Amino acid sequence: MNTGNSARFGPFEVVIPPELSSLRQRRFSEPEFPGRLFVVEGVDGSGKSTQISLLHKWLESKGYGVVFSTWNSSELVKDTTKLGKKKKMLSPATFSLIHATDFADRVERNILPLLKAGAVVLCDRYIYTAFARDVARGMDRHWVRDLYSFSAKPAVAFYFRVPLETAIGRLTTARDGFKFYEAGLDLGLSDDPTESFRLFQGRILDEYERMIPEFGLTVIDATLPVEVQQAQVRQIVQTHLDRARNLRVRP
Amino acid sequence: MRQTYGKTLPGMNLSDLAGKLIVVEGTDGAGRTTQINMLRPWLEQQGHAVLDTGMTRSPLVGEGIRRAKESNNLGRVTQSLFYATDFIDRMENEVMPALRAGFIVLTDRYIFSLMARAIVRGMNPAWIRGIYSAALVPDAVFYLRLDVEQLIPRVIFSRGFDYWESGMDVFPGQDMFESFRSYQSALLAEFDRLSVEFSFETVDASADAKVVFAQLQAKIQAVLDGDSRRQPLFADEAVRREYIHKVFEYAAASTMRRSADQPFAQPRASTGTEHSWAFHSNAAVPSLHARSTLDRK
Repeated sequence: MNTGNSARFGPFEVVIPPELSSLRQRRFSEPEFPGRLFVVEGVDGSGKSTQISLLHKWLESKGYGVVFSTWNSSELVKDTTKLGKKKKMLSPATFSLIHATDFADRVERNILPLLKAGAVVLCDRYIYTAFARDVARGMDRHWVRDLYSFSAKPAVAFYFRVPLETAIGRLTTARDGFKFYEAGLDLGLSDDPTESFRLFQGRILDEYERMIPEFGLTVIDATLPVEVQQAQVRQIVQTHLDRARNLRVRP
Repeated sequence: MRQTYGKTLPGMNLSDLAGKLIVVEGTDGAGRTTQINMLRPWLEQQGHAVLDTGMTRSPLVGEGIRRAKESNNLGRVTQSLFYATDFIDRMENEVMPALRAGFIVLTDRYIFSLMARAIVRGMNPAWIRGIYSAALVPDAVFYLRLDVEQLIPRVIFSRGFDYWESGMDVFPGQDMFESFRSYQSALLAEFDRLSVEFSFETVDASADAKVVFAQLQAKIQAVLDGDSRRQPLFADEAVRREYIHKVFEYAAASTMRRSADQPFAQPRASTGTEHSWAFHSNAAVPSLHARSTLDRK
């Protein structure tokens, strides 16, 4: 092939067309783009969605070009995920892979191009959600981390830490009943949905705790008043935006 | 005991996967489907239960992939992961139950095509290998090899150039013919590398289909004869029925249309009476359930 260049990966020589060389993956690449990525993480009921929505409004009011992306929202993939959940067709492995597919579509189509264009990108849940849930389902920790190695590294990943009982209390009053996969009922931990939810979310919390030092997550005490948490979040975000050059403003 | 390429998935039990997993690989137009369509009846006449499977036949993701490919917006990482989901879904819910029930599983393409396509699209080879480290190691991989120059007339005079087979997403600046040549050459180079790494049995696919078929027959017969177990795979008939049932249900749920005479990719257990190493497959065919599911569609 005369249009390609080649590169070596261990014992393998690989021919890659020149226009694709920029796609070469690095593990959790450092930001080399003008935009900034902020993500919120935490178990259901930790209040992270409230916090990111307040952050979103604040950034917009300050004139930043802000784009918001939420977990499981790819137009190309979400129908498949819905089908799998509704018909309970997902195993731990396919649950993991279909969420990675959804995430990949959002990264390729939105998150990366927008960061390159100089936008502030906010993500409600990011790769850490997948790491926590998939490992709680029994997937290999390294396998899942490698799976997501195409993702961009956020400027800040906020982890809204809340004791399990508080999260469960907030959720059980907010709605009735848990969904099949969210309660981890596919794992057969318990026949009782509430008990299964408690056990499964407990495993997820353990995984988040492990990831705090591993990925340098910024911990926010989610039992504090909403306003106090938001003030902390804004202060941290502000320092990163002050340092950023070439951010695009909203016309 | 059967092995994977390194990782095992949660709940994956590798013992008692007594069937045979036979892979037919090769680039587009190398004649894989033609060969599988001949191999299947041949194996069934010998009394083997046969399942054939291939890309995008998963009831979970097959439809989603087809829809995504019709859009103009399917990215390279997304594409690789969509196919990985399809592959793992079929492996867990179709291939493994079939192997457990003692089927010969003929698969049209395997992880090698998926790895080659991803690598040609610039994915890190270590990344894509890592994902497929959970795949079962097959009993044999037959690589139908054809040069690009031999491939071109087959494609031109049968189905014409297809957007994805021509790698138009990889070489967007070229016309379809140039793109096809560049893309298929890159795929072929990758296949050749993989064939060494994974010890494929290479078969010259430029020969007449009947000649290729005779070679495959001899090679597959050797795989089957090499099996020393010539006894029923399950002491408990109910267990075997259960797994065959799973395979039928899965295939019946797939909406993948194959051809007019075989509208759905459904596994058929053998009706033959000759038995070599295989168990008596015709005793346990839960065909009524599978057929009725199909009829409703």
